[in-house]
Amino acid sequence: MAADKYTQFVSRGWGRDLAKRLGLPQPVELRRHVPDAPLVPGPVLLVGTGEGADAVETALKGWDVEVRRDAGTGRAVPSAAQTAAHDGGKAPSSSGPPERRERLGAIVLALDGIGAPEGLSAPFLAAGAALRSLAPGGRVVTLSRRSSTADEPAVAAARSSVEGALRSLARELRSGATGNGILLAEGVPADAPSALGALRFLLSGRSAFVDGQFLTVGTAKGEVPADPERPLAGKVAVVTGAARGIGAEIARTLARDGAKVVAVDVPAAGDALAKVANDVRGTALQLDITTPDAGERILDHALHRHGGLDIVVHNAGITRDKLLANMDAARWDAVIAVNIAAQLRINEALLASDRFRDGARIVSVASTSGIAGNRGQTNYAASKAGVMGMVRSTAARLAATGGTVNAVAPGFIETDMTARIPFAMREVGRRINSLQQGGQPVDVAEAIAFLASDAAGGISGNVLRVCGQYWMGQ
Amino acid sequence: MREETVELPELPSLSKLYVTAAAEAARLLISRRDGGRRLPDARHHVAVVRPDLARLTAYQHLLGEPARDVVPAGYLHALAFPVAMSVMAREDFPLPLLGMVHLRNRVEYRDPVAYDDALDITAWAENLAAHRAGTQVEVVAEIAGGGGPVWRGVSSYLAKGAFLPGIDKPGANGAGAQREEFRPPLPTALWRLGVDIGREYAGVSGDFNPIHLSVLSARALGLKRSIAHGMYTASRALAEVGAQKGDSFVWDVSFEAPVFLPAMVSVNIADAVDADGAWERSDFVGWNATAGRRHFVGSVARLS
Amino acid sequence: MPITQPAPVRKAVVVGGNRIPFARANGAYTETSNLDMLTAALDGLVARFGLADERIGEVAAGAVLKHSRDFNLTREAVLGSALSPETPAYDVQQACATGLETVLSLSDKIKLGRIDSAIAGGVDTTSDAPIVVSEGLRRAVLELSRAKTVQQKLKALSRIRPKDLTPVAPGTAEPRTGLSMGEHQALTTKQWGITREAQDELALASHRNLAAAYERGFFDDLLTPYRGLTRDQNLRPDTTPERMASLKPVFGRHLGAEASMTAGNSTPLTDGASAVLLASEDWAAERDLPVLAEIVDGEAAAVDFVHGKDGLLMAPVFAVPRMLARLGLTLEDFDYFEIHEAFAGTVLAALAAWEDEDFCRERLGLDGAFGKVDRAKLNVNGSSLAAGHPFAATGGRIAATLAKQLHERTRAGDLGRPARGLVSVCAAGGMGVVAVLEGR
Repeated sequence: MAADKYTQFVSRGWGRDLAKRLGLPQPVELRRHVPDAPLVPGPVLLVGTGEGADAVETALKGWDVEVRRDAGTGRAVPSAAQTAAHDGGKAPSSSGPPERRERLGAIVLALDGIGAPEGLSAPFLAAGAALRSLAPGGRVVTLSRRSSTADEPAVAAARSSVEGALRSLARELRSGATGNGILLAEGVPADAPSALGALRFLLSGRSAFVDGQFLTVGTAKGEVPADPERPLAGKVAVVTGAARGIGAEIARTLARDGAKVVAVDVPAAGDALAKVANDVRGTALQLDITTPDAGERILDHALHRHGGLDIVVHNAGITRDKLLANMDAARWDAVIAVNIAAQLRINEALLASDRFRDGARIVSVASTSGIAGNRGQTNYAASKAGVMGMVRSTAARLAATGGTVNAVAPGFIETDMTARIPFAMREVGRRINSLQQGGQPVDVAEAIAFLASDAAGGISGNVLRVCGQYWMGQ
Repeated sequence: MREETVELPELPSLSKLYVTAAAEAARLLISRRDGGRRLPDARHHVAVVRPDLARLTAYQHLLGEPARDVVPAGYLHALAFPVAMSVMAREDFPLPLLGMVHLRNRVEYRDPVAYDDALDITAWAENLAAHRAGTQVEVVAEIAGGGGPVWRGVSSYLAKGAFLPGIDKPGANGAGAQREEFRPPLPTALWRLGVDIGREYAGVSGDFNPIHLSVLSARALGLKRSIAHGMYTASRALAEVGAQKGDSFVWDVSFEAPVFLPAMVSVNIADAVDADGAWERSDFVGWNATAGRRHFVGSVARLS
Repeated sequence: MPITQPAPVRKAVVVGGNRIPFARANGAYTETSNLDMLTAALDGLVARFGLADERIGEVAAGAVLKHSRDFNLTREAVLGSALSPETPAYDVQQACATGLETVLSLSDKIKLGRIDSAIAGGVDTTSDAPIVVSEGLRRAVLELSRAKTVQQKLKALSRIRPKDLTPVAPGTAEPRTGLSMGEHQALTTKQWGITREAQDELALASHRNLAAAYERGFFDDLLTPYRGLTRDQNLRPDTTPERMASLKPVFGRHLGAEASMTAGNSTPLTDGASAVLLASEDWAAERDLPVLAEIVDGEAAAVDFVHGKDGLLMAPVFAVPRMLARLGLTLEDFDYFEIHEAFAGTVLAALAAWEDEDFCRERLGLDGAFGKVDRAKLNVNGSSLAAGHPFAATGGRIAATLAKQLHERTRAGDLGRPARGLVSVCAAGGMGVVAVLEGR
């Protein structure tokens, strides 16, 4: 998956200089997941003190990441232990040449102890002072508590302030760096598996196109995977709409992470579907998801062919765009039937089986159109907003059995579908986000793979946007 | 009884014989042939003829015979034909060679001939008889191997419009009998014959009679188009009777409407078995389905 | 000491099948080759059963119209597929019976314990048919390749005539009779007194049954759409008796008013491919794969059609009684009949022959009529008249379709025993291959 031509052009050589002079957007090629590469492209500056900061430091060291602690005074101090060696033999050094500023791989702000808005000042200023040292493709991640109506007003204000500050900070970042946050529900410890899982995901190349977003960790459930390169080992995953585009990439990514994939698509996609299924060493199931017994047939196939079902990714979706003034029932109903009604019916059937219900992982593909709305897509936005409603409701139902359900809302993703958008509109669509480029299908797939993993067992009912911090909506 | 045996040093050249015949025909246009009212009492004989293996193979491929080492009966006919022709091309032969119509051909194949057998070929003419359309004659060819006669062919030809004094007009029997109306059976085969088939059969049989070679050469002899060799159709029918006929049999064919090329010939081959279920004979007939006219009819039967 | 031979006879089962939709000649697959289509059929099967990288015991398939470059067609298709490249393969050619013969011969190998898994199949294209050079050019080129001197080479070249440069397309005529298969069938159709109405009715039923099977999703796991085609291109779900009756005869026109074979009740030239996954019971169980049916038995027969003793496509009429005698079964013992519809007349003539006392006594050596095929059990999911007939692909289509039907019926449990099916495929050269399958 190469970046778009413009991004390639302005990423290097005289193209970069030209763009700089003309004040053109300067997207860079994003740092994406490469097997066995270091988690972050340099040491991590950890800002903050207390339970969260300690949990993060322990975790980072466990991941062979070099840590700089900053108590929140605005001056970085070397960490006590910097003995961990990175892969590739490049031993990190805390005593580099003073004339060369150290490039930070990430800045993590542990803000879980903040009790009043004033408490944000020192950590954010400390982070701000270090921003210029952030390496290309670096990360800023906040760890804080979710505000709720049960909080004291000052506490709630402080917790909400983090969100505003982080989203704005993220818009300042350049060179493919991103800023995201983790929100811990009340009572969830900072070293909960999903808190650390989310931290790892947000620091890694897997979250390349996730920017300005928060993941809420609702419970201490979940498990850290034994092998971080194959977090889905032993899992059986169903991906709908898997014959092409984002769906095919989801299938490949889940398989790369160790899952056995059942690739589902309409019979008409047969040959392409077979190719994907064979590529990922999975099986193909030709199925129109709107048929009444689609859920039973998916379950039947997964149980009989692979002995179980752990993950369902509802990716299949269609568009039938038309201004509402010109909309007809066929267009409206088809979109609703495929994009949301089928998911509801399939979930119903799947969750009726105790072979799936316990520990179930459901991830639906929503859309930024469902959040911000899009002219000519009333039907599509209705269906995608409906997905988000379904996710929140289903999450509550699944809580008791340890299952999770989340949605991923892609923004502008470079696919065959978006390649057909007229050039000017496509260019605008690409650039109106903080990363000034469209995402790749794999970026959506990575987010889904994370949400489907054991490490995300404490994350449910979330809608994670994969949009490069699109200008519209949250 | 025979007065004369003419020893030929080698197989006569058919093309030379045709040229001689043409010259003879031209001469006759000026001065009518006189005197010849009886057949020459001569046997023409060639010793130690061997089939040519390459030509034999080409013949077998063209006719659909398996390329066995045993020489097909039709190929032996072709082998003996120059000797038979040399009889008909004799100065004292009473009928004009050119324009002779092949009416019937009967072959007895007694013992299988291998391609490398040394063969003796003898030919003579007999049974001059009247026909309602002219005069007919039988030309007999015999092929002998080391152990005696192995193959004998009798070809009946008609010299159209040639009426010889002293030969009676035919009665109600024989070749002149009125034919009953032909009712085509269901076809068991369909032959798609291109215009090339005349040249191709000429190539493997040596019979370069111009009426078979091309539209132009046929027109020169008064035909609207070239026609297939009668012996091609008969030999192909023989081949298509198949392996059941064995190596010894009687093969009999009568020629009717000529096959103008190109042609689609419908063919029926019907097998008959004896009380024990063993093959006894196969009757064959070829016709033009559009015109409903019969081209040939005949049989291959067990040699009794 | 003699070698101790392994494994006694065991069972061979059908795990499932896959085919691409069949396209009319010069239709959706005009640009695709036999290799393309066979590979697509294999890949769809691999995807359905998760066989990527699997080393299958043996793959056998074939094509009736095969280009000389495809001398190792099936092996090449395996190499192009997601199967393990260590999967051996071989080509089979038994005219239209190729597909069913691969099923039978591979199941025999499984039964003998020589292999544990197999893929049987077939493919044919009439759109991308091999074209050969004329005999004249071929001989001249061969002679040229043998020539040593310049003179010999010039002589060889001089043999080439302009007309030799015209390529030659394969015909559908029987080599020994020159009659096309349709012309042969026209004679058989007339001989058995099969009416135009009866043929049209059978063709109509084929279209309706196939359409109904598609409608209820029967083919969803038997077929992988290809090149934009999701159903058989020849299928006319809405065809009517009137439209059938309006077609002009195309075969047996010399029969005049008796000519009854039209484009509607004869199969069209078709492109397509099919594959069937066969296995031992253990192999399927180890992989949690379904078992649809068991390959019980098979039989091949041939008739002496050359001089019209029997109809060209009548060999199955002889094969079935021989096979059923061996199994101690009669036609009444079957729940499904899959009789390949080369022509409607082929099926109807076979049924008529089995009901004809004299024929059965004299030709089949039976005491009386062989029996009656219940038409309600015949080709219940459509057959070649509707689906089309890419020669070598038909056997695989039928075997997989029947296996699934038998499985569904057996599972329904209403018979109180496994459902039984009879397959009959006629072939050029006066041949026929038949088989018995039993549901699981």
